[in-house]
Amino acid sequence: MVLTRNNVNVSGQGSRSMMFAHGFGCDQNMWSTVARDFEDDFRVILFDHVGAGRSDLAAYDSAKYSKLDGYADDIVEIGRALDLKDAIFVGHSVSAMIGALASLKAPRMFSDLIMVGPSPRYVDDEGYVGGFSAGQVEELLEFLADNHLGWSAAMAPAIMGNADRPELGETLTNSFCATDPEIAREFARVTFLSDNRADLPAITARTLVLQCHDDIIAPTAVGEYVSAQIPGSRFMQLEATGHCPNLSAPTEVTAAIRSFV
Amino acid sequence: MSDDLPTEDLADLYEHAPCGYVSLAPDARIVKVNQTLSEWLETTGDGLLGRSFLELLSFGGKIAFETHLAPLLRLQGFVNELAFDILKSDGSKIPIIANAAEKRDAEGRHLFTRLTLFKAVERRTYERGLVAARSRAEAAVGAEHETAILREQFIAVLGHDLRNPLAALAAGARMLTEREDLSERGRVIVKEMSGSVARASALVVNLLDFARGRLGGGLTLTREPDAQLTPVLEQVVSEIRIIAPDREILTEFAIQQPVDCDPARIAQLAGNLVSNAVTHGAPGIPIEVVARTGDGSFTLSVINGGVPIAPDAREQLFEPFFRGSVRRSQQGLGLGLFIVNEIAKAHGGSMEVTSTDEQTRFTFTMPLQSEA
Repeated sequence: MVLTRNNVNVSGQGSRSMMFAHGFGCDQNMWSTVARDFEDDFRVILFDHVGAGRSDLAAYDSAKYSKLDGYADDIVEIGRALDLKDAIFVGHSVSAMIGALASLKAPRMFSDLIMVGPSPRYVDDEGYVGGFSAGQVEELLEFLADNHLGWSAAMAPAIMGNADRPELGETLTNSFCATDPEIAREFARVTFLSDNRADLPAITARTLVLQCHDDIIAPTAVGEYVSAQIPGSRFMQLEATGHCPNLSAPTEVTAAIRSFV
Repeated sequence: MSDDLPTEDLADLYEHAPCGYVSLAPDARIVKVNQTLSEWLETTGDGLLGRSFLELLSFGGKIAFETHLAPLLRLQGFVNELAFDILKSDGSKIPIIANAAEKRDAEGRHLFTRLTLFKAVERRTYERGLVAARSRAEAAVGAEHETAILREQFIAVLGHDLRNPLAALAAGARMLTEREDLSERGRVIVKEMSGSVARASALVVNLLDFARGRLGGGLTLTREPDAQLTPVLEQVVSEIRIIAPDREILTEFAIQQPVDCDPARIAQLAGNLVSNAVTHGAPGIPIEVVARTGDGSFTLSVINGGVPIAPDAREQLFEPFFRGSVRRSQQGLGLGLFIVNEIAKAHGGSMEVTSTDEQTRFTFTMPLQSEA
């Protein structure tokens, strides 16, 4: 069941639907503050990518999710299950690109695309600045293999049922951004080695690109590139800094989305 | 008494605590750092102030901080037991374990992120050792698994290739018996040869079924909804009588209804059971083969006398490659009963064993009609 697999939560009311997608490293909680603001006049859809949050880890398939297309297929399936038409897709980070791919797969599903901190390719290329060198991506993957930076697998409750090891129930307390560390590593590989530049000119949805200052993951030049490649898209520079304005500056993000839809 | 206790100097505790302290502005710039951490980093506190904490992290650390830690801190207010590295100015890494918490004002506004850092060199070395050991173990299991598959493929190919020469031998023996004028001694030898070829062929069939089962092909049934089993079983018994002419085999067949089954598989099952009885039963006691239908099921029992099967061996009888305590000359591969049990299961039926001083009885029971 698609809605369980992706832990889909539908709330709010309105004739139009707005789907929020989290990026690498967190889960749907990333969007909770912003999404709440739209519940009065939109049907709001939140979900977790398979491998993140409270998604069904058993549904994770390394082959399927070895490309962003695998994640985009999931979004199309969720959209079909909820009968989405002319909906608004709001995607953060890598999910901006995943949403763009979904809009190409199911053209009538999303009429509007809001890309927060998008990047079609993270690694520099000839005539293109993505912000990462190939060596840096390798370093990131090694880092993820070597460091348990507060990743906690969503399998924690199963371990916590283990009476022999009560200490586990105490320590696995992160209730947000749960990601299976192995899956996180594979998601990082897919994300940071992706190249979807060729897909951008094909996008027909009304598109808004939201760009932060000092975003080391999606630098301003990349956001401008995305906007320049998508026909008729709008580019908006936010005051917010860093990579997660939906958490650090939710009010500004909400206002930017409102001004567009 | 308390006069004797020294007073703790809190400012000094902050600066020289046996752990590093650093406070970050919401945009991750360092606003305060203690002496301990400055010393670890071989720099002065002043040199760190105003710089982004991200500069102290490796590239991977920066990305992980931005995509995972920063959101987690915003959502949860704290994160415990982070493991990461901080970089000294010369680029060398210090493994760190840290707790982090957000300091918020009364309105919930984010003022600082506070981190407490501990050096974790030994712990990290230990953890890396564990990860390496796990990788090695996984690699070893993977290699083992591949070898096992290769071995089973080998068995399958070998079994398959043995069938043709065996068929040629059987045909040759038949031609000798039917068309050549043999001496009495020659006829006895050809008969024994035929028996040996039949046993070898049965072994090969079992081997192939086992390998197919292991390689995922599973046991396949070609069911006939109204199979007539009496002639099938008579054929099985008569073949074994030819191989073992000195053994008495009594049959009692009362099969009144058709059975929805694969008759060739039932023949294989019966053949395995009767051959077992010939091999393991006491030579002087007749073997009984009893088959009947009734109460919606088909049952087949094969009974022999002789030394009972030990209770602990009874539990493992149907495991592949299980060979009880028999004489070496009688040892097969130990696949016969395994295949019997697989055939029984494939028919939605089951096998049962009883073994006493009087008799050892294997009983196969299956429903007359398939459940599906």
